[in-house]
Amino acid sequence: MDEQALIEYVTRQRWYGAKSRTVMHARVLDSVVLRTAEPQFALALVELGYETGAHEIYQLFYALRDGELEPDGLDEPQLARELVSAMRSGLTLQAIEGIVEFRPVEGFAGLGRELHEARPVGVEQSNTSIVFDDELILKAFRRLEAGINPELEILRFLTEHGFSNIAPLGGWYQYSGGPLGATLGVLQEFVRGGVDGWELALEEIGSAPDAFLGRLRRLGAVTGTMHATLASDETDPAFAPETSSVEALGLLTATVDEEIERMFVDLPEDDERLAPILGRGEDVREQLRLLTHLGSAGKSIRTHGDYHLGQTLWAAGDWVILDFEGEPARSLTERRRRRSPLRDVAGMLRSFAYAAIAAGLRGTGVPDGWEERAREQFLAGYFETVDPSLLPSGQAAIERLLAVYELEKAVYELRYELDHRPDWVGIPVAGILRLIDETAATR
Amino acid sequence: MSEQWFERDPQWFKRAVFYEIHLRGFFDGNDDGSGDFRGLIDKLDYLQWLGVDCVWLLPMYQSPLRDGGYDIADFFTTHPDYGTVDDFKEFVEQAHQRGIRVIADLVMNHTSSEHPWFQESRADPTGPKGDWYVWSDTDELYRDARIIFIDSEPSNWTFDPLRGQYYWHRFFHHQPDLNFENPEVQEAMLNVLRFWLDLGIDGLRLDAVPYLYEEDGTNCENLPRTHEYLKRVRAEIDARYPDRVLLAEANMWPEDVVSYFGDGDGDECHMAFHFPVMPRMFMALRREEAAPMYEILDRTPAIPRNAQWGLFLRNHDELTLEMVTDDERDYMYAEYAKDPRMKINLGIRRRLAPLLEGGRDEIELMHAILFSLPGSPVLYYGDEIGMGDNVYLGDRDGVRTPMQWTGDRNAGFSRADWAQLYLQPLMDPVYGYQSVNVEAQLRTPTSLLRWMHRFIALRKEHPVFGLGTYEPLRPENPRVFAHVRRWEEDVVLCVHNLARSAQAVELDLSAYEGMVPEEMLGRTRFPAIGELPYLLTFAPRGFFWFQLRKEQ
Repeated sequence: MDEQALIEYVTRQRWYGAKSRTVMHARVLDSVVLRTAEPQFALALVELGYETGAHEIYQLFYALRDGELEPDGLDEPQLARELVSAMRSGLTLQAIEGIVEFRPVEGFAGLGRELHEARPVGVEQSNTSIVFDDELILKAFRRLEAGINPELEILRFLTEHGFSNIAPLGGWYQYSGGPLGATLGVLQEFVRGGVDGWELALEEIGSAPDAFLGRLRRLGAVTGTMHATLASDETDPAFAPETSSVEALGLLTATVDEEIERMFVDLPEDDERLAPILGRGEDVREQLRLLTHLGSAGKSIRTHGDYHLGQTLWAAGDWVILDFEGEPARSLTERRRRRSPLRDVAGMLRSFAYAAIAAGLRGTGVPDGWEERAREQFLAGYFETVDPSLLPSGQAAIERLLAVYELEKAVYELRYELDHRPDWVGIPVAGILRLIDETAATR
Repeated sequence: MSEQWFERDPQWFKRAVFYEIHLRGFFDGNDDGSGDFRGLIDKLDYLQWLGVDCVWLLPMYQSPLRDGGYDIADFFTTHPDYGTVDDFKEFVEQAHQRGIRVIADLVMNHTSSEHPWFQESRADPTGPKGDWYVWSDTDELYRDARIIFIDSEPSNWTFDPLRGQYYWHRFFHHQPDLNFENPEVQEAMLNVLRFWLDLGIDGLRLDAVPYLYEEDGTNCENLPRTHEYLKRVRAEIDARYPDRVLLAEANMWPEDVVSYFGDGDGDECHMAFHFPVMPRMFMALRREEAAPMYEILDRTPAIPRNAQWGLFLRNHDELTLEMVTDDERDYMYAEYAKDPRMKINLGIRRRLAPLLEGGRDEIELMHAILFSLPGSPVLYYGDEIGMGDNVYLGDRDGVRTPMQWTGDRNAGFSRADWAQLYLQPLMDPVYGYQSVNVEAQLRTPTSLLRWMHRFIALRKEHPVFGLGTYEPLRPENPRVFAHVRRWEEDVVLCVHNLARSAQAVELDLSAYEGMVPEEMLGRTRFPAIGELPYLLTFAPRGFFWFQLRKEQ
């Protein structure tokens, strides 16, 4: 297929990330035939080159029909099934420059059955997911970066270390060769009948608030266990907990402080919803300085990385944690960095604030003080199970560091909402205000 | 699986901010009193936060250290004080994981006299290494070559009693020059390059590159055969090592240095230092006039599309005054080296902050000028916190004292005994580690370090500083250095007041009529540019950078 058609195809896709860049060339770096019988399928690594001389690599599929080679989506069931069956048999395929390895997880029952229906799900920016018969879900990564994808890495680690609140990993496939080594896709059990944590919150805040608070306590406990598990193996170089460096707190403080400063420089002055915090930039920075007077930042461990209610499912009476890919906008090595587990906790606490407001916007009556109680329940559950040696020493230090991460998150949200969803600006504004006033009270 | 991978970007070095590190002085990871690779790994988070794109390491090879490691005794091992080659590899991988590239010094011109090659050469004139160095029965050849280390070396020839001949050395007598006439030497140095590039290093700074070949009747600098050899090195890089850079150290006038970029789009070094611009920044500041800046930039020729200047305020050597006139040198000595101890060779051995008498406005202004010029800035470790120097230490050690991390023991640099440190950290009341350190400045929003961090981020947001044109404005007020940088839609106006007093300036911005200047640090919009000259007023040593935006 000619280069121009290839460029047009790739740049049209939802998972294509560099929409604002000018593509100068496209070429196939490597390819391998997945199915030799008609219709034939092939997997290709395609490089797009930009005018700055930079490149990106994408995973593409081709089909050969009636002598015509054309790029194809994963929504072609035959193709998707082909990938799963290659995993089942543990195939290693020789491409031109490298190899593609398909690997099953031993003892994973889901691979044994025959697959029928395959339907694409979800709207993801950087990958494509296919569900088979409500039994299995395959996620193929589109924009490839060198190195193991944290989704595979963490699922495998959690599975091996006995953490069961995940959708079990069934297999994966990966490429290694000249251009790069990268995870291409993962297969997991599809959680049947699961309810998205965010949707459940919006539903139950009004209809069954106490029941939901109980579920949040459980979510806290699951989160604590997840962190304890992620920090449990000193012998694994990718997971061994690290003591934060001398500068860690200073660097965090400086980073957040400058984000706050820039944010306040950019705040529009005529927005009423911003009035409560307008001109209070220096107060916020002052609070930050008070908050970061801590002895140490505790340990750094591998974390979920993008933790909020939308990454959880309630299924069969317990929580399932999803999507360990991290924030897709960050580089892969950045996503694999060790951080304080409290960063995950802060992300979840912020999503309670969003849930309360979103429920209100849907016309649900939100009980007074619901967010406060949600936080209390989640944290109570968390502290029951987490390994305390991962956190700063003493309750006061923990609360302060948590507040710093919440502040960082709220400042990020404020910028995002101003740019994308002005109606939601009130949520981060309330979050920032709460942090100023709360610390003022404990002074 | 390969974890070490950058988005391929052959022009990364044109937009990069470099950071030069004296490994011995950065951080001690094994408590023996000397900095090392393990220590450097521990501080990568700091460098990532600072916004550094590429770390430049001074030589880390096996060496008797009689010239700060530029006297290499084995090209294939690291000095044991710094760690092993495996430690180095680990450092490069960890740096890459944080998006930081690594380049290192390499000396091709000479070795240490302790190098086994030299020992073999002097012991066995007819043996395999007999011809690897430049030997002569007399000290008569190459008389037109100047002596570089005039304070310590009487001649470029030294007699070796063992071999009974003179050997040639452009630098110290314990650094014999390799004989590049010998094809085996040429191949041996290529092997050295391949060895380090195969370990993942992103480039090499080629030290003392103009001196590879000698020829009687010439000054033995920049000879055609030196360029031929560099083209051969570059061809090897282009063929086998994409995205790696060669950086030439050639302390010469820019019209001469450009020859090291090679021909066409550039077929020798990717980068070369622009030495003469540096003393002129200091002159301009002291004289409170922009003329030295305009002059040297006017004198700077265009360079190939794929080439870039390396610019710096200070580095690990003396502030070199080779590329100035005698009058200018006298002026620089009189103004910046009042104590004769501050002079060394043809230069001044002081750090940035003491040179500027600790003036915060001056330090910021000098960085603003540096960052505004066409080229990639190279920062010197410690200057981001305004570290001082100790002119009572020998040679150039005064600007190579330990990095001041905290106010704790040994400046947080090492947990070894005080007496065991390779050099003691500064303790004076102005620049000592209790007042100047990373930890305190990180926590102080108004500190120099925090300003540098914001300023580096600002420069990196705008590729125009690395890629754009340079268009001097030359306003009537001689105390103001003003120019425009342009790249695609990005137009940036940089105006710097060199005077100690407040100044006003009228700029002819008629070419940009209708556009609105937005100050880049605070994002304040200034009045739109009209038909009349654009009036700006400045605080003493003040500067403005504006992005010129099209009015909506």
